[in-house]
Amino acid sequence: MHFSEDDLREALKRKDPGEGFTQRTIARVNQARVNQAQVSQSKSESKPEPAKKNNGAFLVWWMHRPVWTIAVVAMLLLAFGIGGYQYSEYRHAVEMRLARQRQQQLQQEAERARDQAIMALEIARAKMNHVLQHAQLQAEPNDKIRRQRL
Amino acid sequence: MNLATRKLTRIFIAAVLALSVVRGYAQDAKLQLSNLDKLSEKAARVTDVTLDGSLLQFAVNLIEKIDAEDKDVAQLQSIIKNLKGIYIKSFEFDEASQYSKADVDAIRSQLTSPRWSKIVQSVEKRRNEYDEIYLLRNGNRVDGVVILVAEAKELTVVNLVGEVPVDKVASLERHLSIGDKQSGKNKQKKENGHDQE
Repeated sequence: MHFSEDDLREALKRKDPGEGFTQRTIARVNQARVNQAQVSQSKSESKPEPAKKNNGAFLVWWMHRPVWTIAVVAMLLLAFGIGGYQYSEYRHAVEMRLARQRQQQLQQEAERARDQAIMALEIARAKMNHVLQHAQLQAEPNDKIRRQRL
Repeated sequence: MNLATRKLTRIFIAAVLALSVVRGYAQDAKLQLSNLDKLSEKAARVTDVTLDGSLLQFAVNLIEKIDAEDKDVAQLQSIIKNLKGIYIKSFEFDEASQYSKADVDAIRSQLTSPRWSKIVQSVEKRRNEYDEIYLLRNGNRVDGVVILVAEAKELTVVNLVGEVPVDKVASLERHLSIGDKQSGKNKQKKENGHDQE
């Protein structure tokens, strides 16, 4: 399709918008604003947004007082440090106490075992000598008789 | 299977066999004395000692720490260091014939192996006394001792397992006072007249 220069000129030439063009335009713009306001209101009613203004204000308060911020952070670090140290000391003391108890228990068991071993060897010695003595006593009269015969 | 694997397998089998033989040998010296437990109810006095494994090792370690300058302590140390177990069951009764012949025979039946040899026997039939000492010999070494004292009002079985210097056991001092050794005084208390015999 081919357009001639005259066609274009005819199509793009100035036309009169008619009476009340300005009022109509302003009315449509106002209507669009009202619609937008209604949409945003309905959204805010359905999902209430969290209040950010308070947090922001809190952070701003600290940001404007750096000395306070540093002091509070330092105190918190100190408190955690002391608490951790105390806890580790407590744990160490508990472990040491348990180890001492275990050691004492082992020592007592060992002493009991030693006493038992000594007692057992005493019994062994006593019984061995008892048997040997009996055997010797039995042998002695026979020896006497044998010697007498000789 | 390559040559190295075969060799390793043979070595492993030989080690297992050697271990089982050694283990069996050690177990031979230990008697089963549990059949005597029933006599505890009848006995007026019961002595039951079972010392082996880690407990005996504890005792050995403690005894070895005692000052060995004392002659008796040194002797005790030399006796106990090679022992693997000490088992004693002793029952003393108020009345005679509280145990049966079967109780004693159950012990004797465990000593019928040719490795056990009866070195001393004292029999007094009129008083119903049968006292015996058995040794488990391994060449010139003694790997176990059993002392059996079966009398009218007493039945005692002493079983020492491990290398036992019998002569030293018999010549131990009458009383090995533990308290004195603990305090390190090394003065052996020799109380006469308190022997069990």
